[in-house]
Amino acid sequence: MKLLNLFRRKKPSAPAGGEEFFKKKYQSFKNLLEANNAALEVMSHMEATLEGDYVFDPQFIRASTESILEKVQTIVQELNTLGDNRYAELVKVYQNIAAKIQNETAAAPSGVPISRVLPLSQVDRRLLLQVGGKIANLGEIKNRLQLPTPEGFVLTNEAYRLVLAENRLTEPLASFLKDLDINNMEQLTEKSRILREMLLQAKIPSSLVEEVNQQYDHLITALAYKPYLALRSSGLYEDLESSFAGQFLTVLNVPFDRFFPSYLEVLASQFTPTALVYLSQKRLLQRQLAMSVGCLAMVPARSSGVIFTAEPTGGRDDVLVIDAAWGLGPAVVDGSLTPDHFVLSKKPALDLLEQQISRKTKRWIAADKGIKEEAVPLEEDSQPALTSEELLTLGRYALQLEEYFGSPQDIEFSVDQQGQILLLQSRPLTLLRPHATGVLPPHLEERHPVLLDHGTVACFGVAAGPVFLVDHEADLSRFPDGAILVARHTTARYGAVLHKAAGMVIDIGSATSHLAILAREFKIPALVDTGKATQVLRPGQEITVDANQIKVYEGRLEEILQAPVAKTSLLAETPIYARLRRVLRWITPLRLTDPQLANFTPAACQTLHDITRFAHQMAVTEMFELGEQARQGEVHMVQLQTNIPLNLYIIDLGGGIRTDHRGRFVSPEDITSIPLRALWRGISHPEISWAGPIPIDVRGLYSVVSRSLTAAAPQHADFWARTLAIVSENYLNYSSRLGYHFATIDALVSDVRNDNYLNFRFKGGAADESRRGRRARFLGEVLTRLDLEVEITGDLVVARLWKYPRPLLEEKLDLLGRLMGCARQRDMVMADETTVEWYIQAFLEGNYRFAGEPGSVTPPDQD
Amino acid sequence: MSAKILIIDDEPDMLIMLEMIITDKTPHQVVTTTNPLELPELLAQENFNLVITDLKMPAMDGIEVIDTVKNHDPEIPVVVITAFGTLESAEEAVHRGAYDFITKPFRKEQILVAIERALEWQRITRENRELRDRMQSEKTAAKTFRSPGD
Repeated sequence: MKLLNLFRRKKPSAPAGGEEFFKKKYQSFKNLLEANNAALEVMSHMEATLEGDYVFDPQFIRASTESILEKVQTIVQELNTLGDNRYAELVKVYQNIAAKIQNETAAAPSGVPISRVLPLSQVDRRLLLQVGGKIANLGEIKNRLQLPTPEGFVLTNEAYRLVLAENRLTEPLASFLKDLDINNMEQLTEKSRILREMLLQAKIPSSLVEEVNQQYDHLITALAYKPYLALRSSGLYEDLESSFAGQFLTVLNVPFDRFFPSYLEVLASQFTPTALVYLSQKRLLQRQLAMSVGCLAMVPARSSGVIFTAEPTGGRDDVLVIDAAWGLGPAVVDGSLTPDHFVLSKKPALDLLEQQISRKTKRWIAADKGIKEEAVPLEEDSQPALTSEELLTLGRYALQLEEYFGSPQDIEFSVDQQGQILLLQSRPLTLLRPHATGVLPPHLEERHPVLLDHGTVACFGVAAGPVFLVDHEADLSRFPDGAILVARHTTARYGAVLHKAAGMVIDIGSATSHLAILAREFKIPALVDTGKATQVLRPGQEITVDANQIKVYEGRLEEILQAPVAKTSLLAETPIYARLRRVLRWITPLRLTDPQLANFTPAACQTLHDITRFAHQMAVTEMFELGEQARQGEVHMVQLQTNIPLNLYIIDLGGGIRTDHRGRFVSPEDITSIPLRALWRGISHPEISWAGPIPIDVRGLYSVVSRSLTAAAPQHADFWARTLAIVSENYLNYSSRLGYHFATIDALVSDVRNDNYLNFRFKGGAADESRRGRRARFLGEVLTRLDLEVEITGDLVVARLWKYPRPLLEEKLDLLGRLMGCARQRDMVMADETTVEWYIQAFLEGNYRFAGEPGSVTPPDQD
Repeated sequence: MSAKILIIDDEPDMLIMLEMIITDKTPHQVVTTTNPLELPELLAQENFNLVITDLKMPAMDGIEVIDTVKNHDPEIPVVVITAFGTLESAEEAVHRGAYDFITKPFRKEQILVAIERALEWQRITRENRELRDRMQSEKTAAKTFRSPGD
């Protein structure tokens, strides 16, 4: 406001209507810029938090996202004010993205009484804390994506708490879990038995029985028959943050009269030895445990299977992997047979690339009460378990789920007798990529015979240790630390010793089985489907498992044993980091980079960063147009005539340009705005070179190119370089985008010292993060030494100065002009840390051409 | 030296991260709880060298935690974790006897430094008290020794 008063004094003769109109627009522009700067600041802060070793809580994520959303909303509103509602579409885009973000951060609606039983049709992610990850995700699939799932209802965590409380089990359970020693297998087995017994004998409160009866009646009405149920456990943290693959029980084909005993069985499965070890390894024991149970109408499956939306170990992200077998689900994931294996391409179109059809001699089917195994008729056992049409439909669903949940997914499904596909769950997929086993020494195989050279990788890596053959579950209690687990099948129960195992070799099973998923989670080198490991390997025999090459050698091969992968988890792998990453994918990625591309539209905005980028560009364009349309005497836009490739347009609010020069073009001498004149002195300093692109080293160039893959390559270095300065006699607002950089200066320079200020911001750059970081350090250090107050967050540099006398501020603006010239693309040549200090010194010494810069003919350290 | 640290925070994510950092980077042992009401029992069971607590919790606020710890043993330092923008309550906490406070979000190193400083404070405080006690008892002994002759 003060600023507008300033130019009002200077332009008493301006027609009031026009000036008022422009003032309103200008105020919107200012508000937009302010909100833009603030939003970028919070974004940088969130990104920095994710990259650094920060400790934060969910409240931080909520508060930061709310703050960004509020600012971006302001941006969208102000852009519409500025552009007379021409950007109404952007409002919808914003609302869409905001809904996605709020969906990630939303807590359950507070004040609403917590239900104990809920129909699946009312479940989504907001109820996460009540229904657990697995069922919350299933609710999303059913109710938001509207993909086919079974009908059903869910007994929430509240039901679990009620059962515990009514049976006075809450305290005993907690104290039992407190002193659990997962390395003492005997104690663990015994505790597990007692815990499970406590739950199995619990009485179901009558109010709960009543509610379940009601829901089952609704289900009968909806389906028009009395369905048997599949009871699926849904742990609080399951499927969201950790896979819990195969940890908790699923009971299939339960007649309603057996409902509650089965329900208790599922609750008790939280305390099997395997589950306890897993919970402890994931540091979840100390957290409030709870379990909700999804009760879904049983699908009498003809075929069942799993889809991985990326190859879990093969390194290909552009394919879908589908494993399937006849009958109900367990056959595929419990590792008791080798399923059919299909690989589909994702792009350009879904297409079947490979298939391996196995002999599937048995299948699980629904029996009278429960399920039973039966032999598959001979004529069917070698037929593919899925038709090509079913494969493509599954592929389409899988792509939708991957896109919606934002990361590769592990999906379970069934196909009923009529060929209808039903999705049963979707959870994040743990991916591992091969790492090279260095060059093998010669004659290796003479000293260390190859014992096995066939199988499928479940987890890459190399491990050595004595063979421990597991035949029965009871063998697990003797499993020694550092042994190699060798077994016939991939049952998830072996998970109970994975924290002790160095490696794993299995006869039969697939890389999509639960045990394989667990091996990847615990980073244990593992081979499955080796066919004959249990016959070839002898108990106690020292072996080396090289999962990278699919080989098992006799003896310890120190040559190829890499430093063991630390099993301690890193901060970045904690659940809260995962949550922040999920939220940030709707906030920080910038896809809209080049305003000259056809996709620079509201519809193309996929993140909040895209919206700010779009809105800022459009706001500047709107200001240009306003300037162009302005009649004489209102406001005044001119272009500066200069050899410097800045494309500088100036909107004069009054007193910033000599009034006797009112053509389209002005020369630098016509600038009367005090701050712009000072800045221009620096920009046009004879030692600053603005001509031509700066030479860049090859890696610098590469990092530019790789960042530009999503956008078209720029035609020349300053491919979008219209710069806008809004000025009055004492004021300057300067927005410039040089290549990928984005710099703004907002300054007021007058004789009233207390009014004076200078704000400078610099963000972005085409090079990779470390290089941008180096340039940020370069700028930050120089600005600090120029006495500005500097704050650096990631690659965002903010510098401020206020209440300085006019001559000093003019001097600083001059130096800023020089600095911007020098910083132009400077990140591309700052190849390493040591050069940063060199550039700082050079700038401060006035060596603006950086003569003798590192890497040139005469590097300074060799002088 | 390995110390025993008790961490109280109603947010399990905070406990996971803090325990991970401390057990990875220091020899100290960590006990955690999301329920501050367990504090008296935990203090009775174990000798803690340090308590780290969240300031704002539904069951019991951090100020009460400080009071409880200080009543139990004034030489156990308490480090308070506060949310951004609640500087006043953090100052209040220090006024009520907290050794230090740390504002969320914070870097791994910040909490490690705060822990080491707090433990160092405890060591020095204990040493001082022991010296004082010894001097006091020596004084008393001397007095007792001299008094018959006075």
